[in-house]
Amino acid sequence: MIPTQVIQTLLWLIPLPPILAFGIIALGVNRSRMLTTLTSMTGILISLAASWVVVLGAIGAPELGRKPIGSSIEWLATGATTLRIGAAVDALGATFLFMVPLACAVIFLYSTSYMASDPRYTRFMGYLSLFAGSMLGLVVADNLLSLFVFWELMGFCSYSLIGFFYAKPSAYKASVKAFMTTRIGDMLLLLGIVYLYAETGTLNFADILVNKGMLEFLADRPAILLGGMGISAASMIALLIFGGTVGKSAQFPLHVWLPDAMEGPTPVSAMIHAATMVSAGIFLLLRFFPLFEEATHGPMGSRTALEIVGMIGAITALMGALIAVAQYDIKRVLAYSTISQLGFMVAAVGMGAYVAAAFHLLTHAFFKALLFLGSGSVIHGVEHGHHHLHGDDHGGHADPAGQDDHGGHDDHSKPPAFDPQDMRNMGGLAQRMPLTTLTFVLGGMALSGFPFITAGFWSKDEILADAFAGMASGKWLHSVIFIVLCVAATLTAFYTMRQIALTFLGEARSEAAAHAVENPWQMTLPLVILAFFAAFLGFINIPRDFPVFGPLLGANAAWLKDFLGQMLLEKEAALPFNIIPVLASVGIAFTGLGLGALVYAAKPLKAGQTDPVEKLGPVYAFLRNRMYFDELYRAVFINPLQWIADHYTAIVDRGIIDSLLEIGYTIGGGVAEGFRLFDKYVVTGASDLTGSIFKRAGEWVRELQTGQVQNYLLTGIALAAVLVAFYLFIFQG
Amino acid sequence: MQNFILSAITFLPLVGMLLVLVTPGKHKGLIRWGSVAFSLLPFGLSIVLLVSAHFFPPQGIFLFEEKYAWFPQVNATYHMGVDGLSMPLVVLTTFLTPLALLISMSVEKDVKAYYALFMLLETAVIGAFVSLDLLLFFVFYELSLVPMYFLISLWGGANKRYASLKFILYTMFASLGMLLAIQVIGLASGSFDLPYLFSEAGRPFVGKNTVNMLVGNGMWQAIAFGAFSLAFALKIPIWPLHTWLPDAHTEAPTGGSMMLAGILLKLGGYGFLRMVLPLFPDAAREFAPVLAVLAMLSIVLGAFAAWGQTDFKKLVAYSSVNHMGFVALGIAVAASAMGAAAAMPAEGAHKAAGYVGEALIESARIAGNGAVLQMITHGLSSAAMFAVVGIVYERAHTRDLNKLGGLWTIMPKYGAIMIFCAMGSVGLPGLSGFVSEFLVTRGAWGSSFTLLTVISMLGLLVTGIYILKAIQKVLHGPVGHEWEHHPPKDINWIEILGVAPLMVAMLLLGLLPSIVLNPINFSIAALIR
Amino acid sequence: MNGINGIPLWAFLIIAAALFCIGLYGALARKNAIAVLMGVELMLNGVNLNLIAFWRFIAPDSSAGLVFAAFVFIVAAAEAAVGLALIISVYRNLNSVDPEKLDQMKL
Repeated sequence: MIPTQVIQTLLWLIPLPPILAFGIIALGVNRSRMLTTLTSMTGILISLAASWVVVLGAIGAPELGRKPIGSSIEWLATGATTLRIGAAVDALGATFLFMVPLACAVIFLYSTSYMASDPRYTRFMGYLSLFAGSMLGLVVADNLLSLFVFWELMGFCSYSLIGFFYAKPSAYKASVKAFMTTRIGDMLLLLGIVYLYAETGTLNFADILVNKGMLEFLADRPAILLGGMGISAASMIALLIFGGTVGKSAQFPLHVWLPDAMEGPTPVSAMIHAATMVSAGIFLLLRFFPLFEEATHGPMGSRTALEIVGMIGAITALMGALIAVAQYDIKRVLAYSTISQLGFMVAAVGMGAYVAAAFHLLTHAFFKALLFLGSGSVIHGVEHGHHHLHGDDHGGHADPAGQDDHGGHDDHSKPPAFDPQDMRNMGGLAQRMPLTTLTFVLGGMALSGFPFITAGFWSKDEILADAFAGMASGKWLHSVIFIVLCVAATLTAFYTMRQIALTFLGEARSEAAAHAVENPWQMTLPLVILAFFAAFLGFINIPRDFPVFGPLLGANAAWLKDFLGQMLLEKEAALPFNIIPVLASVGIAFTGLGLGALVYAAKPLKAGQTDPVEKLGPVYAFLRNRMYFDELYRAVFINPLQWIADHYTAIVDRGIIDSLLEIGYTIGGGVAEGFRLFDKYVVTGASDLTGSIFKRAGEWVRELQTGQVQNYLLTGIALAAVLVAFYLFIFQG
Repeated sequence: MQNFILSAITFLPLVGMLLVLVTPGKHKGLIRWGSVAFSLLPFGLSIVLLVSAHFFPPQGIFLFEEKYAWFPQVNATYHMGVDGLSMPLVVLTTFLTPLALLISMSVEKDVKAYYALFMLLETAVIGAFVSLDLLLFFVFYELSLVPMYFLISLWGGANKRYASLKFILYTMFASLGMLLAIQVIGLASGSFDLPYLFSEAGRPFVGKNTVNMLVGNGMWQAIAFGAFSLAFALKIPIWPLHTWLPDAHTEAPTGGSMMLAGILLKLGGYGFLRMVLPLFPDAAREFAPVLAVLAMLSIVLGAFAAWGQTDFKKLVAYSSVNHMGFVALGIAVAASAMGAAAAMPAEGAHKAAGYVGEALIESARIAGNGAVLQMITHGLSSAAMFAVVGIVYERAHTRDLNKLGGLWTIMPKYGAIMIFCAMGSVGLPGLSGFVSEFLVTRGAWGSSFTLLTVISMLGLLVTGIYILKAIQKVLHGPVGHEWEHHPPKDINWIEILGVAPLMVAMLLLGLLPSIVLNPINFSIAALIR
Repeated sequence: MNGINGIPLWAFLIIAAALFCIGLYGALARKNAIAVLMGVELMLNGVNLNLIAFWRFIAPDSSAGLVFAAFVFIVAAAEAAVGLALIISVYRNLNSVDPEKLDQMKL
């Protein structure tokens, strides 16, 4: 049992070490790679240790859901309300505190090798530290405002890391796209925060989300906008907050940034897809689940908010799976699979399957991190083969300017374009990179939901079971979601098999692939660690009445459900065991994998041979081009806005406002000109005349001054004579 | 109790100006560094002000008051004092001046006059902030235009004549009306003393303080309100009165832009909160929706305009319109609640949507806090951005965004600093811009302008676009051909010294906003009742 | 009334006027500065004669007339001394004592 004070203190300290590491790297040790590695690894490991201590303490704490452990300080006093910020841990937070620092630490270790030859390695590790610190801060935040602070900070980190190869147009475009797309969601979230704050005067989670009175107050109050349509404040706030999730967790229609985000180095993709960014969105959604739930109660109660969430999730799940089928880039397939899997989680929340969503998020984080790091390992290996072939030393092209080359990875800019990420250039890697292959296949199986021995199976099955239970009781949303998710899951298994087959099986389809080599331990150890969790993490939440496994685990079965269940005011009822969804899950996995194996593994692709998917024609083109979302958004939103921006100044500021001013100026100028002419000819004329008269007189008098003494004397005498005459004849007379 | 600290802060720069003027012009180094060192004196004093106000909480509303007879014939006094509205702005002014002087080290033309004008500018602006007498305020307010005019017209760029003329005509025109309004108020209340005018006995155009001359009292009130509002709206500037700003900024020297954006614009927002709201509470409440709509347009259109620029400096200049729009929005919300306490909601009103009574006042106070804080944070971030623009312009000799590019590779330190400042401007949480924007948004949402708030978010979105555009066009991409042979030097330590304090301040206020919000909140609560 | 030794006042005045006019002529017309100076001396003497004559005939009891005359003598002497010195100085500089050429004071 860990004392509460220790937990309270540690909570504040959890996000600090990586953030400090960022500061130290940025300001101090960025000249030394060694020190950078040391600083960043130390930072994340301290956080990991602190987090796990907190998790242990939290697991033992009673009533964790209602009474999160934490402490807060006064931060912002305005008007009569005071906003407190603090750090706290509850069951949901503890779950994340288990996963996030572990995944981060593993990715850090991986990066020290993967990015080692990059000239800006230190900057990379710095950003990565800040990224991890922000995510940890987000998890321990006890209020929505601090959560938003870290949320945005993460947005900034992802922007910087996606655009890490900033000299490359595709990279910086992807970074701007990621920042702006998520910012749309962030603006909605900000409005949600503002609305919540305006209504409740607090943003503390515990004050709002486990406070029945507060929740009822929100559910009974009509929304400030659209309130007349019977929407409650609770629904509206919930939907605005969901806007943040849509952006951050790449849900339809704001999913477009995530596939492009793989322009960043591969460890960044792993960070974004597993440990940080996209998890944060789901985390927020889970946090506010009580609000969604409450919105269904009361006189204004409606399921609209949850239905929207569920539909968005279902659409995203299917869309992501479809597009993933037609991609060749190894990372892009994974990116779309992430979108699809996130759709699963969001759909689960929409159905009210809170624990299932959290469970899937947890398992997904591990197997997706595994897959991304595995793909990075593959790319690294193929690159190595490529460089080996073309004679240039792998680390030797560290251009100090760093603009043309970035240590070799992920670089599409160099012609002739050999793309080490294109699966058509791979094949047969199973022999050359055995450990990578093994772990990648395990991760792939978890993604496909291979029964019983992978974590992915358990979590996906949980979602499907919830959906099926709803369908059985006749809820339309659950029925739709169940069918859609089944299709999506089948597709998932199919494209996973396709990816595995294209990458690892058959003959090498390029010289580079033929010369690929296995990577050093810093890169393979993380794979092994993650593979362990990808396989066994499922056992923390197996239904108690599941045949064989349930009794086997005894009291420890469905542990996560009990633990997370504390978070909810009304506990989820345990579903009775039903064989149909389990059969469906198993069937789906085998169907998808089998189909994939039939098409790809049975007759592995030869070099130059076209992919069977391409035979689908226009459907293929549609999917290959990602359903034309980018083109659509560009035409409908970006271009018109850009047009406004480009022409606004010329039309409004210069054209209208300044023209009006110009007219005013001209009128004023005309009046002034009138005065000027009056001045010139009347006022100035009169004074000029006076002046000239005196001037003339002066000139005439000047003639008198001859300089001749005798003349002066004569003049004096004459004047004296005149005076005398005056005196004598006029004055006297 | 009389003390001289405010007079000292106000007139120390003037002493500095005289010292600069008597220094022989050939000692450029002495003039530059001497000015910087000297301008630290008022800064130090203003910090003393802040700290002592923190430890010895105010008894009345105004602190450090000084009052002497000035023009007894018209009952004008030399009255100075600070409260939570003006004190942060005074500190901002004394803080920015040495930094602007540091950034101006590279000015070679007529150094002596340049630095002397800067000192004069500082005196004028501080004087305007600490004046508690309308006439005294007006004197300082007008005085601030003069050095700025010369800074633009003598040290400006290619189009300096047009820009400086536009600047001076625009602002002079607006302040003429304000002079008239001040005179009418003096006539009505028989005093120019602000605390007296705020009191029940002294409120102009109310009770016995009426003017009936040519036109009726109500008309005079409307004229005075309109004249004040016009002058300050133009200064903020609010759309569509903003077009002088981009021109003035683009042509002004870097230090001048820092002062203009960082401080001079704040006179507008300050004037609204200090004079318009308390002197004309009813008119302000009635016209609040107009102001709110214009503020929303400033936010949205300012952002779009900034997005469309290809001149780096103009982009930053338009970003001021965008950011100051939040100040205007906050003021509009504050104005909308003036006197709202009279209309208390009936029992059980929370069942209805909308915010009235106490809830509205609370929102208005939060928005008012946000508006003042936004002035401070915009002062920091815009000054930092202008410094960043100036630094790259000095090296690349162009501000055309399409010609810059790839500079991060050549100037890594500069790149990091620019990204930090840009993020401050975009309002990244953790930096000060976020707190103020959050407060304004929160206040505006909880007032009658909810829909406008939603539309304003579009502006906030575009803020991100134009800032990222600037970063991308300057830093990202391949190194341009021009730079390959003559790569620009990275930022030097003097420039770092000029920008780093701004960065520290942004971070500090982002993490601990309460250090300035506490006094602000005190005064805002007194204002909005 | 009786004159001094029978000479009436008007005779003195005529002599004085004549002296004055001769001096005036000299001062105005001569081309030699020394001669001009001498003309001035003559004029002063004429005035002096006038003063003495009026004293003697009108107010013989008072000494004011004598004092006037004495002042004029002294001034004349001083003037002669200064004037001559000036003329010598002018001569040294210009090699001439023609007053028509001395027009530097015009400027």
